[in-house]
Amino acid sequence: MRVELRNITKRFGSFTANDSISLTVEPGQIHCLLGENGAGKSTLMNVLFGLLHPDDGEILLDGERVSFANSGEAVRHGIGMVHQHFMLVPVFSVAENVVLGFEPTKSLNRLDHETARREIRDLSAKYGLDVDPDAIVESLPVGVQQRVEILKALSHDARLLILDEPTAVLTPQEIEALIDIMRALAAAGTSILFITHKLKEVRAVADVITVIRQGRVIDSVSPETSESDLAALMVGRSVSLTVAKEPVELGEGSLELRDVVVRDDRGLVAVNGVSLTVRAGEIVALAGVQGNGQTELAEAIAGMRPVESGQILLGGRDITNNSPREILDAGLGHVPEDRHRDGLVLSMSVADNLVLNTPRRAPFARRGTRQLAAVNDNARDLVQRFDIRTTGIDATAGSLSGGNQQKVIVARELSRPLVAFMASQPTRGLDVGSIEYVHRQIVAERNAGRGVLIISSELDEVLALGDRIAVMYAGRITGLVDSSTSREEIGLLMAGGS
Amino acid sequence: MSVSTLVSTARPARDRRTTTIGLIMVAIGLFITIAFGLMVPGWAHSQLTFDPINSAVHAPWHLGALTVVTRWSDVVLGLLAIALGVEVVLRHPRRALSRFGVTSVLFLLALLLWSSRTSGPASVNFVDLTAVLVGSSSLAMVLIYGSLSGVMCERAGVVNIAIEGQFIVGAFLGSMIESTTGNFWFATLAGALAGALLGWVLAFLALRYMSDQIIVGVVIVTLMSSLSSYLNLQVLTPYPQYNLGNLAPNVAIPLLYKIPVLGPVLFNQTGFFYLAVALIALVSFGLFRTRWGLRVRAVGEHPKAAESVGINVVATRYRNVVLGGAIAGIGGVAFMATQGQFQPGYTSGFGYIALAALIFGRWTPSGAVVASVLFGISSYLANNLQSYSIPVSTEVLNMFPYLITIAVVAGLIGRVRPPAADGIPYQRS
Repeated sequence: MRVELRNITKRFGSFTANDSISLTVEPGQIHCLLGENGAGKSTLMNVLFGLLHPDDGEILLDGERVSFANSGEAVRHGIGMVHQHFMLVPVFSVAENVVLGFEPTKSLNRLDHETARREIRDLSAKYGLDVDPDAIVESLPVGVQQRVEILKALSHDARLLILDEPTAVLTPQEIEALIDIMRALAAAGTSILFITHKLKEVRAVADVITVIRQGRVIDSVSPETSESDLAALMVGRSVSLTVAKEPVELGEGSLELRDVVVRDDRGLVAVNGVSLTVRAGEIVALAGVQGNGQTELAEAIAGMRPVESGQILLGGRDITNNSPREILDAGLGHVPEDRHRDGLVLSMSVADNLVLNTPRRAPFARRGTRQLAAVNDNARDLVQRFDIRTTGIDATAGSLSGGNQQKVIVARELSRPLVAFMASQPTRGLDVGSIEYVHRQIVAERNAGRGVLIISSELDEVLALGDRIAVMYAGRITGLVDSSTSREEIGLLMAGGS
Repeated sequence: MSVSTLVSTARPARDRRTTTIGLIMVAIGLFITIAFGLMVPGWAHSQLTFDPINSAVHAPWHLGALTVVTRWSDVVLGLLAIALGVEVVLRHPRRALSRFGVTSVLFLLALLLWSSRTSGPASVNFVDLTAVLVGSSSLAMVLIYGSLSGVMCERAGVVNIAIEGQFIVGAFLGSMIESTTGNFWFATLAGALAGALLGWVLAFLALRYMSDQIIVGVVIVTLMSSLSSYLNLQVLTPYPQYNLGNLAPNVAIPLLYKIPVLGPVLFNQTGFFYLAVALIALVSFGLFRTRWGLRVRAVGEHPKAAESVGINVVATRYRNVVLGGAIAGIGGVAFMATQGQFQPGYTSGFGYIALAALIFGRWTPSGAVVASVLFGISSYLANNLQSYSIPVSTEVLNMFPYLITIAVVAGLIGRVRPPAADGIPYQRS
């Protein structure tokens, strides 16, 4: 199907998310939409899928003008979408999820489960996407859930498939498989709109790349364009994608894990006997697909989750099951995975957030009274040193962009004496410019002789930062390799191979 | 090595909770066996009669009375409870919570036998079991209306705390309309409309203005209870002809009503009872067998996913909350039609007990029915303590549904999972 967007404009209040965007997807084309977080890619796709109504502009499918009141109509016009956050009901079966909204029925409006199952099997066979129609979605691994999401998108004879950041949760092998599926679909004539901010994937799969920045189309380029050129188009200035690291003499172990076992919220063993030593002056990057116990491990190290057995040592001192405050005071710098939940109080000022973990200590408090002058001095100093873009130190943390929020946390954690520094997903959701900045700070901390533990599901980040790379799979460390190891090998380890 | 052994022997939390349920059941069983059984003198008897006395219903049978030795019959009940508990501990059946419900019924039965035991070797005492069941059934029926209303709302993702308020308005209007028209159909229609209107208010504030659903619900209850007190004082007290409190007539189902004990409980009831039974079947079938139900459940679990396939989330929620309100409104009329004259505060928290039944029943119609029956019996016993000389205070028995619910919600016994989007306002992206 030939899809043409003409001058699509979408505003939210005074903010223009899409500013007169035009683009065309030819039949059988894989068209990549590249842009930073917040550039307006998802908004544009939600407009195309009927979830949002454009303020201006038109959509043409095979030359015919259309407008969708809801996404059901978009689906009926042959548009299928695989959402970044899966649109699957976890407690429903695969079949129920795929037919939802378009259910085959018998008399009395009864669901026709038999027909639904048969439809799924036919689709599975047609596209080579194997799933059990009766499996409950929440019991399936993420890669399979995505397969269900793709099947659902294809189930109504979709001739345009929108994939919104589909690779974020996949292992490198699953990404390979997804790319194969995309190629096969395109070869059969399906048009594909592929949204991402990952440069490698874009170059691997796209026929055409359209770069979007601040709601506008910046350029359409061919996949031969180099990664650094693409990054420059995305950000609007040239960025360095690699971080220079000087050799540093390694010291003693600054953070040691010994046979650590941790349970998740459901009481299942999530970290299954992990031992790892981070020495002073090195960065250990813990790689792995989300949901293999990294989150629970980081929470346990930070004292936010009980350690069932095993030991955690910080600079040789046992901090196992100490309270978060004791652990922070003992010298652990911690950038949590979910910065909105665990890293900041969004409704409090930047200045207050910058002393969030030392509010009762001199000079910020004396005899139980806050010393606002000291708090504000500290804030002004850090805002300047860490280049935090804010309207002022009294602005709420919630008013900052994601990148600047992360800078607030990094500044807070790095501005006090540390023994070791741990950062979970330190650049998740950040734009290329902020990533560059955060990475440099992390490397500086290593160069200053601290032990650094980075937990990341971004393979690029792991490779860029890690002196050593530990791979976590199903609650265990399945490999500890040095940074010269190839992507493929680490990818295999992430998928549970050895 | 230690780690792998540790992991393989460690049980998931669900299993641990199931074990806890089983152990609690065993403890209840032991308590029944010892306190209600072995500690009772051997000469004490309990007498159960099955022939309705003082009942408007003509009993076409005569079963006589069953006299049992209190000690040994309660020991048997206790051992049954222990056996069920042991089964739960050892086998971890999927329906552990419903077995817990059975144990609770055993406990109430044992309590009944124990408290009606003869006080001396020569004294006489008896319990009219049929009356107990008939009385409990009409309370259970009201709870069923309430919990089905909750199922309708919460499966679509809206918490309806206002059930109590809908009961009150249903009972108030029900009494007024029935008194003036002499017709229960009109009363039912009025109750349904008023309940639906309150449901619409809840939906409007929750869906249009994204207000906190719990707070809106509590406000509705408070408003209705105050308003009904005021109107009672201003209208019903000076004009008692508007509050006759006629009871709905029983409709006996030919032949079936003659079955001993079960007949009066199930087949010689008011129309409201049969309507409740029909609603159970209808809601159950609708939610789990039809396209409508699949969509409602999708809206309650993952509204964004529902929206992404073209389902109108807000309209679905409106529809369900209004329908749920209507059901609770009819429940209020049913309460009035079985308990008599409207008085301020006489629904006495039944709306909340219905919510407890909904949670104990895990947000399913069938589970809610089982819980409603259990809580119906306990409420009946609480209201009629003197007649059965149960030496427990009303307040303690009235705590029963809430205690069970707290234990369930806290995850002490079993684990319940509400619809994932229950109570969360939905905002289109």
